[in-house]
Amino acid sequence: MTGILYHGQPNGPSFTVLAAAFEKGVDLDLRAIDLVAGERHSTALPHPIEVDQSIEGEGPVLVVDGVAMTDSVFLACYLDEVGSGPAIRPADPYARWQMMAWCRYVIERVAPAAAALGNAATPPPAVPAGIASADLDARWAQAVEAKVDEAQLADSRSKIFQAVEKIEAQLADGRDWLMGDFSIADLETHAWLAGMRAIVPDAFAAAPLTDAWEARLRARPAVAQALGLATVPEPEAIWAIGPEINRWG
Amino acid sequence: MTDVTLYHWEPNANSGKPMLALFEKGVAFDSHYLDLLNFDQHKPDYLAVNPLGTIPAMTHGKLVLTESTAIMEYVDEAFDGPRLMPADPIDQWRTRWWMKFMDQWLAPSFSMIGWSVFVGPSVRQKDPAELEAAIDRIPMPERRVAWRKAINGAFSPEEMTESQRRVALGIGYLEQALGERQWLASDEYGLADINGFNLAYAMPLSQPQLCNDELTPHIMRWLRAIYARPATRACWALGRTDLARRISLLESEPA
Ligand SMILES: N[C@@H](CCC(=O)N[C@@H](CS)C(=O)NCC(=O)O)C(=O)O
Repeated sequence: MTGILYHGQPNGPSFTVLAAAFEKGVDLDLRAIDLVAGERHSTALPHPIEVDQSIEGEGPVLVVDGVAMTDSVFLACYLDEVGSGPAIRPADPYARWQMMAWCRYVIERVAPAAAALGNAATPPPAVPAGIASADLDARWAQAVEAKVDEAQLADSRSKIFQAVEKIEAQLADGRDWLMGDFSIADLETHAWLAGMRAIVPDAFAAAPLTDAWEARLRARPAVAQALGLATVPEPEAIWAIGPEINRWG
Repeated sequence: MTDVTLYHWEPNANSGKPMLALFEKGVAFDSHYLDLLNFDQHKPDYLAVNPLGTIPAMTHGKLVLTESTAIMEYVDEAFDGPRLMPADPIDQWRTRWWMKFMDQWLAPSFSMIGWSVFVGPSVRQKDPAELEAAIDRIPMPERRVAWRKAINGAFSPEEMTESQRRVALGIGYLEQALGERQWLASDEYGLADINGFNLAYAMPLSQPQLCNDELTPHIMRWLRAIYARPATRACWALGRTDLARRISLLESEPA
């Protein structure tokens, strides 16, 4: 299988997809781009609806047979289907539902909070040209101008606390991985939380199970390989624009 | 008696997604109707099933499932019947991409408009003290805000304009996608279509200036084709209000 993966530093959605590709042994043509500089919007990449209107914001783009695909959890599901490595989704339908529902929670509640906090901590330098989506463009402008809504940041911090509590509860029965067996849920959860240790340290103050889980995760060869692609000392401190904070509820 | 129970409101939006998937699969289920406008979803009986107080939820034997789109994937995998997730991995990706786009971008904009013109006005005349108590029982803080805004007619003009902008764009994207292939995510009817139909079936009525035979022929072809399916008829027969009856507009002939 041949595919081109345009990816950023191994943090957030780029982390999930890189690690999933290595877990599954999928051989991809890896092309690092600077998501924080807005290189995803350059004409070097294809721009179908699915790239320009991706809910994830500035995530990686996987091009296979001329089809440009986005949204990290679904890219990881794709890689699970086509790759030869051990499964990264449970086989049982109910366990699979648990994984998809968990990932939906991360995508919808944790990711927007983490991205907002990450952008507030290190605002991107400029709004790139060529952004097709007006709402993504508005999120860029807000981040660049560091127009910080304190209530939103407070709510985002509380979402990070809740996420860590949820992980502690999930691991309380002594399991190694969130779904029992290792899965996409572990990758996607780590993808968004790794950078939160520095920004919301209190959330991790009494989370021994989460600490041990993260250490196990980082010890996986595929995860180490993904993190090894970083070209900066702390990839988890690099934040491009993420998904929007739910405007409905 | 079956070992599947679905807790749902009208065949519409999130409720309609697992309902229609179950009908397409031919899975018999016990229907447990909750009246959203009567706040049934925040009552203790239902909170015991789904503590978040949102509809739908499904039980299969001892298993409890929430999240309408994830439930649909489960229904497809756990039961016999026609396969609703395409076989090709790229088509599977496209199915999930569209479902997320609708669930998290387009549907919330339709909801804001729907809650402002229909849900809010439908409950507003109730006793204010009773309404306050009902809102206090809502588990999710985000939903308490949404209900307050709907009841008080307090969605801001900016929010409403943004929702209308998204609805107009989203209709354009759907039209474009359905111009490229027969069904939304692949060449076969599937989960993306079931999801999309629940969002879009009343569009020719609610957004007539944006969605009609002239402007969006592909959407109209798609809606009529889904309406013609026996599973769709059976599913919408479970509707109890004018909301679900809006589907009859799809009986019209193409202009
Ligand atoms: N993400 C959930 C959302 C469920 C949801 O919000 N359902 C709406 C009805 S379409 C609801 O329960 N609204 C009533 C309320 O929030 O009180 C899903 O897809 O199942």
